[in-house]
Amino acid sequence: MVALTWIRGLLAHRRSRLLATAAGVAVGVALIASIGTFLSATTSKMTQRAIARVPVDWQVEGQGTVIPAHLLNQVKRYPGIREALPVGFADTTGLSATTGSTVQSTGPGKVLGVPSGYRAAFPGMLRSLSGRTSGVLLAQQTAANLHAKPGTRVKIGRPGLPPASVRVAGVVDLPAADSLFQRVGAPVGAQPQAPPDNVILLPSRVFSRVEGPLARAGSVRTQIHVKLSHSLPGSPSAAFSQVSGEARNLETRLAGSGLVGDNLGSALDQARSDALYAQILFLFLGLPGAVIAGLVTASIASAGADRRRRDAALLRTRGASTRTLVRVALGETALAALLGIAPGLGIALLIGQAAFGTASFGAGAAAAVFWAGGAALAGFAIAAAAIALPAWRDARALTVAGQRREVGRTTGGPWWARYGLDFVALAIAGFVYWQASRNGYQLVLAPEGVPQVSVNWYALLAPVFAWIGAGLLAYRLADLALVRGRGPLGRLVRPLAGELSPTVAATMGRQRRLLARTVTLVALTAAFAASTAVFNSTYRAQAEVDARLSNGADVTATESPGANVGPGASARLVGVPGVKSVEPLQHRFAYIGADLQDLYGVRPQTIGSAGQLQNSWFLGGSASQLMDTLARKPSSVLVSAETVKDFQLHPGDLLRLRLQNSRSKQFMTVPFHYVGVAKEFPTAPKDSFFVANAGYVAKQTGSDAVGSFLIQTDGTSPATVAQRVRGVVGTGAQVTDIVNQRKIVGSNLTAVELSGLTKVELGFALALAAAASGLALGLSFAERRRTFAIARALGAKARQLGGFVWSESAFVTGVGLVLGAAMAVGISEMLVKVLTGVFDPPPDVLSVPWGYLAGLLALVLAAVAAAGAATLHALRRPAIEELRDL
Amino acid sequence: MSSAEPLVRCKGAARTYGSGPSATVALQPTDCEIWDGARVALVGESGSGKSTLIHLIAGLDDPTVGEVSWPAVGDRAALRPGPVAIVFQGPSLLPPLNVLENVGLPLALAGRPQSEVQQRAGAALSRLGLGDLAEKLPEEISGGQAQRVAVARAVVGEPRLILADEPTGQLDHEIGAVVIDELLAAAKRCGAALVVATHDTEMADRLGETWRLRSGRLEQGAGVQAWSL
Repeated sequence: MVALTWIRGLLAHRRSRLLATAAGVAVGVALIASIGTFLSATTSKMTQRAIARVPVDWQVEGQGTVIPAHLLNQVKRYPGIREALPVGFADTTGLSATTGSTVQSTGPGKVLGVPSGYRAAFPGMLRSLSGRTSGVLLAQQTAANLHAKPGTRVKIGRPGLPPASVRVAGVVDLPAADSLFQRVGAPVGAQPQAPPDNVILLPSRVFSRVEGPLARAGSVRTQIHVKLSHSLPGSPSAAFSQVSGEARNLETRLAGSGLVGDNLGSALDQARSDALYAQILFLFLGLPGAVIAGLVTASIASAGADRRRRDAALLRTRGASTRTLVRVALGETALAALLGIAPGLGIALLIGQAAFGTASFGAGAAAAVFWAGGAALAGFAIAAAAIALPAWRDARALTVAGQRREVGRTTGGPWWARYGLDFVALAIAGFVYWQASRNGYQLVLAPEGVPQVSVNWYALLAPVFAWIGAGLLAYRLADLALVRGRGPLGRLVRPLAGELSPTVAATMGRQRRLLARTVTLVALTAAFAASTAVFNSTYRAQAEVDARLSNGADVTATESPGANVGPGASARLVGVPGVKSVEPLQHRFAYIGADLQDLYGVRPQTIGSAGQLQNSWFLGGSASQLMDTLARKPSSVLVSAETVKDFQLHPGDLLRLRLQNSRSKQFMTVPFHYVGVAKEFPTAPKDSFFVANAGYVAKQTGSDAVGSFLIQTDGTSPATVAQRVRGVVGTGAQVTDIVNQRKIVGSNLTAVELSGLTKVELGFALALAAAASGLALGLSFAERRRTFAIARALGAKARQLGGFVWSESAFVTGVGLVLGAAMAVGISEMLVKVLTGVFDPPPDVLSVPWGYLAGLLALVLAAVAAAGAATLHALRRPAIEELRDL
Repeated sequence: MSSAEPLVRCKGAARTYGSGPSATVALQPTDCEIWDGARVALVGESGSGKSTLIHLIAGLDDPTVGEVSWPAVGDRAALRPGPVAIVFQGPSLLPPLNVLENVGLPLALAGRPQSEVQQRAGAALSRLGLGDLAEKLPEEISGGQAQRVAVARAVVGEPRLILADEPTGQLDHEIGAVVIDELLAAAKRCGAALVVATHDTEMADRLGETWRLRSGRLEQGAGVQAWSL
């Protein structure tokens, strides 16, 4: 009954205090529920995307003398199979075609027998480039090698039999060639098999006629390509377990007559490690936000703690028992929580809709209940920690005169400061960080084929302890400045407080707990906002680098292997409208010992600007210095760091590489001299490669054939230029552009989830920073209206009251932001290093989003200015009215 | 430091709180003057308008009707800190300042140098025998001590008019007497007029003049240089 009366009183007379606490609860609830929405949406999306990118779920390969029809029947009977079609695989000794007066021929290749309806059942396997979509189809690269087009007759070499002749109906691309030609049943960890250069696809009927005689010799294999029912669990991990378990079960049923190539399982295998990354990103980026939201709310709520204590003391004098006082506090807690939870969940739904495209807290009902309920519970916990807990603590020891205050002569610092726990936490963070950032560190370990993904949770300790230690240290430093630095503080606030500066400094020193806590909150929120923004910005910068490295230039035309196009072909491309420059780039393979690596031949004088080379991609000199060396000493070569380490190379060492001679087709030894390290290079793979002088390579191998042309545009859209270039090179070269590459890089799962998470985080970070600075200060001023009113009654002018208000504001904002900036630098470095697996390539330097940081600064300053101005505006009322109301 | 003009003049000054049917008349239109050296006890029941009149005289509140002026002092902006000082009924020390800083606050607000502020505040405390409390915080002293410190704060600037609104209202009789003694002594020392609102007739008798308020109306009493309309 007392509690109800009290709540009515709160609603009537303490609305602002109640609403401020509810607002804090709403922010915390919204943040947690949004993160829940993010996690549920992304893990479910990951499963869906993993499924969507697999063109054939299973490839069941017949073993021994199994009859294909029997195998097909057995597979079709297995539960959950939606589609199963047989595909024949045979080897050819080579293909040949006559165009005009010349005969083109290829090396060995593969002949596939594709049943009718295959394209419709597995649309991701074949992409039509020219001609018809059925009949005899040639792979694009094979068509380029044979100079064949629809209508050309092609002879298929058969071991021990005369070649069979077929007429080409169309040219196709095989986007999933890697999985199509995979070695089914290869042991875990085996090197992936490169797809064949030459492929011809025949209708099943033609395949039987052409390859039928060879089937008896056992050189024809049959695979059953399977599409599964995709009603799988939302979690990639659970979906992986289900699919891989079913694959093993089918193999058991087939009793050795077939092996399952589990493409869907492999995709889900990758997705589950991505999902784990999503959860880790939540822990690293989201959890600090949720904790800070709780702290800000508690701080906002505790701004009214003195008033609550006075209220409780009054109740106690009227005979209220401890139980009654606790009930009253619980009533206020419940009211603030309810007022905060409902809008918090509503805000989360809006955020989910805007950021993740989902208006639900989870993929399923259980997930939705879990996250919505969890967020609501967290909201209640925040309100309880802010209101009920202190009230319960006070109620047990409360006497009318014994009200503890924020203001007071606290001798010595807080208990943790006496034990140096801030330094201990930072030392632990530093130690873990040092260990975690050493070479070979991996945050997420997803061993291929192993059902469980493991996370290096130990590494999480680094940022956890860094946040704790930095927060405590910020409090200690602010406290120290207020207690020990009263003299300097007085001088610092003199421009704002004038002749009252010693009094203002004394006032601030006695409010050390309140001010140090607000400084800590401002520092934490600023550090959270800045470190999240830096992380996000660095990720985006690296994604751009990745896109540029992968594509090589704005537009890249990659010649088919075997095509002998010289650098002179640049002239044709330079003439394409929108092209600014064209840079030919050789691509060869070279043996170093038994290791085969890519070798890129460059024109050192022009590659620097054409490839937009960055200094951070090289060791042993800047990009221009190393290109200069390649120009002056043509036998120079740049080597990957891994090769330098593996082969114990030193600058100037002679390196005997073996490259293929264009005339003899034999590998010959070519001497090079190691001059530097190339960590990254346009179009180069991520592991090992060489960069050499193209002229030297051409001279030594007898061929100046170009692997790709790096085309920079003059500002015209790369997509438009790419289309024009395709018109010039036809199907002979593959043309890619950076816009498309950006989409590919930006649409990978990590990028998608990070983009969504950081979008939400950055928004909340701004709200929290504004709340921690403006709202916390404003409420703290509001709670001290009586003090200000007495000062006014004693004769303080508005300017002098402003001295108190602005000095505190400046101290809290200035010290908080400086400490926050320092924390942000350390936390950002740590986040980027610990989450290095997220970045591709790993960044050398952090990318600082000055625009966002300037916005953050402006928002904090505006919030503080608004809080101060509102306080001073409220103090314009006659002092006696203010005193009478309080 | 006597003047040909009164320190305060109220002409038909009245104060009403709220408006419409729920309006409360706290002070009926009142005319009165306070001169240098006056010792006035403002007596009356609770709610009779004592505090309202004190606040109007102190320039802390505006009359809804009539006017209040300070002919011998200047305009309202010049009242505090300076010629007019006030002692409130309840706790009025600023919690974040220690006793010495609280006492020196009117001087600091008046822009006096820090050294002078400390010296004069210390002297004011010593005169009231409160020197030992200088470094204490308000939460560390008793209610009686706090009110005596408030008296020290009121007189530190050597005002010409000291107003005390029920200064002994929350104190026991013995401590209350001490506070009144100190107010009288301080007023004498500064040559200031003293107006004390109180409902304690014994205290009132010690001030010489007594002004009585009944339901917001100021009544003329023995020796009272005041009249109500």
